[in-house]
Amino acid sequence: MISRTLSGALILLGLGGDAVLADDWPQFRGPRHDGISLESLSQKNWAEAPPKEIWRAKVGIGFSAVSVAKGKVITSGHIGGDDVVRSFDEQSGKQVWEHRYASDIGAMFYIGGPGSTPTIDIESDTVLVLGKWGELFCLKLTDGSVVWKRHLAKEESLVVPDWGFSGSVLRLENRLILNLGVAGMAIDSRTGKTLWRSDGAESGYSTPVPFREKGKSLVIVSSGEGYSAVDTNTGQQEWSVPWLTRYGVNAADPIIWNDKVFISSGYQKGSGLFELGDGELEMIWKQRKFRAQQNAPVRFGDYLYGFDGDSSSRAMLKCLSLKTGEIVWEDETFGYGALCGADGHLIIISSDGRLGLAEASPSGVAASVTPSVLPADCWTVPVIANGRLYCRNSKGNLVALDLIRTR
Amino acid sequence: MKTGRRTFIKTASLAGASFIPMPLLGAGPAKRYRTALIGCGWWGTNILREAMAAGQSKVVGLCDVYRRPLQVTADEVEGASGDQPQLFDDYREMLAKVRPEIVIIATPDHWHAMPCIDALKSGAHVFVEKPTSHTIGESQAMLAAAEAGDRIVQVGLHRRIGPHHVSGMEFLRSGKVGEIGMVRMFVTGGAGGKETPSPNSRVPTGMNWDLWCGPAPKRAYNRKLSPGGWRNFLDYANGTLGDWGVHWLDQVLWWTDERYPKSVYSTGGRPILGAAVATETESTTDAPDSQVAVYEFESFTATWEHRKFAGNQSEKHRIGAYFYGTKGVFHMGWRDGWTFYPKGNSDSPVHGNPDFSDKKDGNNLKQLWQDFLIGIERRTQPVANLEVAHRSSVLPLLGMLSYKLGRSVRWDGDREQIIGDSEANALLRRDYRTPWVYPDA
Repeated sequence: MISRTLSGALILLGLGGDAVLADDWPQFRGPRHDGISLESLSQKNWAEAPPKEIWRAKVGIGFSAVSVAKGKVITSGHIGGDDVVRSFDEQSGKQVWEHRYASDIGAMFYIGGPGSTPTIDIESDTVLVLGKWGELFCLKLTDGSVVWKRHLAKEESLVVPDWGFSGSVLRLENRLILNLGVAGMAIDSRTGKTLWRSDGAESGYSTPVPFREKGKSLVIVSSGEGYSAVDTNTGQQEWSVPWLTRYGVNAADPIIWNDKVFISSGYQKGSGLFELGDGELEMIWKQRKFRAQQNAPVRFGDYLYGFDGDSSSRAMLKCLSLKTGEIVWEDETFGYGALCGADGHLIIISSDGRLGLAEASPSGVAASVTPSVLPADCWTVPVIANGRLYCRNSKGNLVALDLIRTR
Repeated sequence: MKTGRRTFIKTASLAGASFIPMPLLGAGPAKRYRTALIGCGWWGTNILREAMAAGQSKVVGLCDVYRRPLQVTADEVEGASGDQPQLFDDYREMLAKVRPEIVIIATPDHWHAMPCIDALKSGAHVFVEKPTSHTIGESQAMLAAAEAGDRIVQVGLHRRIGPHHVSGMEFLRSGKVGEIGMVRMFVTGGAGGKETPSPNSRVPTGMNWDLWCGPAPKRAYNRKLSPGGWRNFLDYANGTLGDWGVHWLDQVLWWTDERYPKSVYSTGGRPILGAAVATETESTTDAPDSQVAVYEFESFTATWEHRKFAGNQSEKHRIGAYFYGTKGVFHMGWRDGWTFYPKGNSDSPVHGNPDFSDKKDGNNLKQLWQDFLIGIERRTQPVANLEVAHRSSVLPLLGMLSYKLGRSVRWDGDREQIIGDSEANALLRRDYRTPWVYPDA
C-alpha cells in the first residue's frame, strides 16, 4: 500500500538554487526542470501587441533549445558535416564564440541535427554539451575552449538510440548525470571521468530530472523500454516502470511533484500517473488520450498543459486533469507545437511558427496568437529568460523577442 | 504450375468495388473469427487495427521475434478490444496453440511463404502482405497450398480496391484513352546522396535475431535492417521494385487481358548510394538506388523506373503509372488520384480524386479487409486473392532476377519457367539456411 507519509518527500532540486542569476534559464526545461519560468509577463495581449524581435541568428539544423545565463545565450545546430555549439551575447545577439566538431546529421525520417540543449554551469563557468552520437564536451563559458571531452558511445560501448542521444546534461554538484545506457551514467564534472554507468543498451531521449526521496539524491532517466529512478551517487536503480513504445521513443521528461510522477510518450502510447509507494511506483491511472511525443507538458496545480500527438499526425494542445487522467479541453489552433509556462500562462509556438499566449486554466483556452515569427518546423520548446523569449526552428533560425517592450 | 483455372478473377476484381458494409450476412451478430497476427510492426498493426475495427475478429495470438513491438501491439489490442492474445516469438507454436481461424502475415518478404503455407495447412484463412514472397518458387508453393484446400487468401494489394483505382480502371477500359500501346510505371524522388555505412550493433534486448533471419542468410544485426529497413536488403526483400513496383505492375495486370509478359529485362545499380557494404562491423543497404525494368507483352510494352535521388520537379506526378493511349495520357497515381490528359491541347484533363479509408497513410486497407471477410463468409475469391497476387508478384521478382543476372529473360507464364536459361531458372528459388527447408511447390 501507498504510504501517505511520503507525501512531500520528493523535492525537486533547483540547479544551484539561489545561485541562479535573476531569471536565467541555464538548462533544458529551465531553472526548476519543469518548463516554467519564474518571470512575470507585462504584456498579455499578443494578438494586438506581439513581442518585438530584438535579434535573430542562424544556428544550424537541429532541435536544441537555448540556455541563458551570465549574459550568454548558448545553443547548437548542424552545418555542413559539423555540429556547432554557439554562444551569443544576450543583449546584442552577436556571436561570441563557437565550438565545432564533426558529426553526422542523422537525418533518419526527419531533418536531423542535434537534439539536446547545452547546459550552462554557472558555478564552474562551463558549458556541457552532449552530442547526438555520444560526444560529451566541457567548454569554457567565456571562450568556448575545450576543458575536457569524451566520446562516450565509443569509449563506453553504448548503443546509440535510433535518433541519437537527445537528453541534455544535468549537473548536480560535481556530477554530470546523462541519459545514456538503460539507466543513466554519471561523469565527474571536473575531470570527465566516468563515475558510474548502467548497461549500454538503448537509452531513451529524455533529460535526467532530479528529485530527493528519503534523503537520497535521485534522478529519473528513460530507456528505450521504460523510466527508472537512479541514485545519483551510486547509479543504483531504485525503481523502474516498463513503458514500451513502438520505436523506443521515451522522450518527454517526467514530471515529478510531491510523491507523484507523470510520464508520457507519443506513437499512440499515452500517459501514466504514478505514486511512489514503498520503494516502487504504483499506477494511479493510465490513458491513451495524451501522448507527448517530444516535449513534456507543463504543470499548473492539478492540471497539465501540452501537446498531444505526433509531429506527423493530427496533434493538438490539451489540458489534462491529474486527478482523473481525463482530458479537460483540447484546442486545434496550433496543431503540433511546443510550449513553456510563465506567470500562470502558457507560452506556445506552433509548428508553423505562430506564437500564442494563453492563461493556463482548466476552464478553457483563449490564446492571443501572433503571425508566424519563424517558418516550420518549430518543434523546439520556447525559452523565457530575462524578459526575452527565444524560439528556433529545425532549419536553424533563432529569434530573440522582447516580452517587455512590444511594438 | 498452372495458373489459368480460375476464370472469374476479372469480374471478382471489379465486384470488389462495391463492398458491403457490416454486418455482412443479414441480421444477427456477425461471426467473430479467432485472429492472429505474425509480424507486429507498424504495418502488421495497421492491418490488425482494421481487423478489430471490422468487428469480426477476436485477437487470440500475436507473434513477433522482437518482444518490444509484440508487447506494444498486445497493449494496444487489449486497450482497443479487451482481447488478451497469447504472445509468441515462433509462429509454429502459435498456430499449434491458439488454432486461429484467420492469420495475418506482415513479416519481411523472406518470412511470407512458410507461415502462409503452415497457416493454410492448419485450416486458417490468410491475409498476407505483398509481394507474396521473396523468390518465385515460394509464391508458387503458397499458391499450391491454397489450391489444395478451401481457405481464402487475401494479399495486401490495397490498390486493387481503392476507389480511385476502381474508377480509373473503369475509365481506362471505357475506351476514352483510346488504344493503349505503352505503360510507364515509376516511383521517383528522394534526397539522394552517398550512403554512409552505419555500425553493426548488438541485437536489441528481446529480439531473436536468428529467428528474424530465419530461412534467409544470417547477417550481422544493423539498425538499418530492422525495425523497418529490410526492404532495401536483397537477402530479405526485393528493393523498391519488390515493395512499390508490385502495386503498379498489379495495376497493369488488372488492366490488360494478357496474363504475363513474354520477356523481362532490368538494369540499374547504386551510382549515387555507392557500393554496398556488409562487413563484420558496418553495413549499408544493398538494393539499387535506381533501376529500369522492361516488361514486353504481346500487345504493349510496360516499363518500370525508380530513382531515390534528384527529387522530381520536372514532372507533375512522382509515383504511379502512365498509360499511353491513342487519345491521350492516363495517369494512375496515389494521393494525386487519377488524371487523363487528352492529346488535344484544348481539351481539359479529366480527374478522379482518391478516397482513402486511411488518409494519413493513404490506403484502403479497410475495404480490402471487408472484401476478405466477404470472401470467407461467401466462399468467393477476394480481389487480391493469391492467384491474382501471385501473378502480380512474379513480375517484380522477375525484374529483380534479371537485374541480378545481368541479362533479359524470356518467360513462359503458363509453365512459370524461364525459357532456355538454366542459370536463370535456378534463381527462381534459393536454398534456405539450415534447418529451414525451401517450400517447393
